[in-house]
Amino acid sequence: MSSYMDNSFADALQQILTKECTPRVIRQIEHGDSCDSLWASLEESGFPNAMVPEEDGGAGLSLTEAFPLLELCGAHALPLPLGETMVMRALLSASGQPGRGGIQRIEAGHELPTDLVNLLACVYSAQLSGALQTTFKLTLQYANERAQFGRAIGKFQAIQHQLSVMAEHVFAARMAAQMGCSAPLQQLSLEAVAVAKDRTSEAAQEVAAIAHAVHGAIGFTEEYDLQLYTRRLHDWRCVGGSESYWHDVLGSALVSRNGSALDLARAVSDVSWSPA
Amino acid sequence: MTSLTSLSQTAIPPEDEALRKDIRDFLEKATAHIPASVRARSWYGFDAEFSRELARRGFLGLTLPKEYGGGGRSNFARHVLAEELLTFGAPVGAHWIADRQSAPLILKYGTEAQKRYYIPRICSAQDFFCIGMSEPNAGSDLASVRTRATRNDQGLLLNGQKIWTSHAHRCRYMIALVRTSGGPEDRHKGLSQVIVDLSLPGVAVGPIVDLTGDAHFCEVFFDNVQLNEDALIGVEGQGWEQVTSELAFERSGPERMLSSVVLLDEWLTFLRAEGGRDPHSTRLAGRIMANLAPLRAMSVALTGKLARGESPVVEAALVKDLGTTLEQQIPTWIAGDLGSRLGNDVPLELMAALKYLTEASPSFSLRGGTREILRGMVARGLGLR
Repeated sequence: MSSYMDNSFADALQQILTKECTPRVIRQIEHGDSCDSLWASLEESGFPNAMVPEEDGGAGLSLTEAFPLLELCGAHALPLPLGETMVMRALLSASGQPGRGGIQRIEAGHELPTDLVNLLACVYSAQLSGALQTTFKLTLQYANERAQFGRAIGKFQAIQHQLSVMAEHVFAARMAAQMGCSAPLQQLSLEAVAVAKDRTSEAAQEVAAIAHAVHGAIGFTEEYDLQLYTRRLHDWRCVGGSESYWHDVLGSALVSRNGSALDLARAVSDVSWSPA
Repeated sequence: MTSLTSLSQTAIPPEDEALRKDIRDFLEKATAHIPASVRARSWYGFDAEFSRELARRGFLGLTLPKEYGGGGRSNFARHVLAEELLTFGAPVGAHWIADRQSAPLILKYGTEAQKRYYIPRICSAQDFFCIGMSEPNAGSDLASVRTRATRNDQGLLLNGQKIWTSHAHRCRYMIALVRTSGGPEDRHKGLSQVIVDLSLPGVAVGPIVDLTGDAHFCEVFFDNVQLNEDALIGVEGQGWEQVTSELAFERSGPERMLSSVVLLDEWLTFLRAEGGRDPHSTRLAGRIMANLAPLRAMSVALTGKLARGESPVVEAALVKDLGTTLEQQIPTWIAGDLGSRLGNDVPLELMAALKYLTEASPSFSLRGGTREILRGMVARGLGLR
């Protein structure tokens, strides 16, 4: 997960998003302003084609290699479907139909073919992972800076515990999202995707609630940036199946087979060894 | 400061994964006769002969150097072994502490003479070790221990008391955290660790019955117990540093998330049988696995860090908190599921395992550092000032 190649792609995307997908820009796009210039920057940088094979003009990244990029989309609350576009263009290329343009934003409740649902679950798990991290960082910063009763509120045990619970969800969700993206795009493991979307969705609701609890009233305003992330945590929890949908998938897999709980946990968490 | 992206999905090297088949073949036969309710005791189940049999097969002291009787294997090998032992509910309690932390401690801080004496005894399951840390007035505030070891012409004279020491009544040795200089106001300074032979005059051990009816932990009294100089581990005053360095090992292992897995597997067997399956149970099984699988992956990632010589103390604490929470949720949720099935016949062994784990579950987030202490550590380790 930390090869030179994916660090440099991630660094490049991080730079673009930091500069051009600011909270101000997010609000403008959400309020109906044109997203053309932001999308044009992304197209120019090549990221929508990151997973398209090199012979078709892309960077040929695997799903595992693209994971940090998907996380960044979430971490920056990108209001554009870069993640979906990356995977769809890779699939279209593989089936001999190069894609152009973005795709429609998928809303919760629309009926989609199952394998598309699995793909979206994968993408949104990674985005949730990124958004969870940003939500935690904002909350940590607030707890260190906001003073009441003569000290930073982070000095109070109740706040420390809330932050620790948040962090635990962030860590578990990130590992789950990695697991979901650890297979090649066209050979996704249903159980691994289930774990990914399941765990990230469970984390989303808890982390959003704690973030607002720690922030108090200021976090409840439109002007403060927290809501840009917590609204997405709730949205993305429900897109591509919320945790209940994936509990059913995973539970069915577990009850339908023989073998221990450990063995299924191993099957979805093992990755192949390659020498350093 | 620990980073949020510090744990990455980690592979187990094939040569270590290969150990799984050997240990599983042995455990299938060795635990077949042990009822689920007994196996539910997991790593607290004490069986000296079982420990010796494991030792004979080379399954003790896996990570210790061969020159001291160990297996010379990696942390990953021990991880694979531990997962199998826990999933079968093997009674590993007798040697667990010695193997997990006493031997590595002596390896890291001990003299050559101590290593040559104690480590082979641990690896052969000849002697068992327990941990003497908590005292009646020193639980979470471990630095306030009052048991003292004062110098005299024969070595160190030990006076004081330890409590909650698991298996002390059946172990030969205790590694005790004691004060060797200064007073309680000095906090972490002036603490040392000593190896106490529990058969020495002046040692009195009394088991304490817990609410499940088991009596595995004890109070231990020291009344002018004479230790030789060679009882001291490492340098005098180094006790706190030694204790802290053990924590990443102690807290990161699969036993911090797999303590309820015997019950989980019994319940799954019940669901898979005729008439057992229903939508609510299926959803619950999925919920449990959605928490267990990432935890297992994080535990492997931690083992990877230990194998690379790192000390992931903050990550181990947060994985332990998450893991023990799941261990407690499993019996609660399964009880809810079984309680919803008024028409079904629930197997007796499943009920017995459930009863034991329900009663034992508060201890999961007390032992090895309470939830409340761990959460404070995690928050500070991640950047809370």
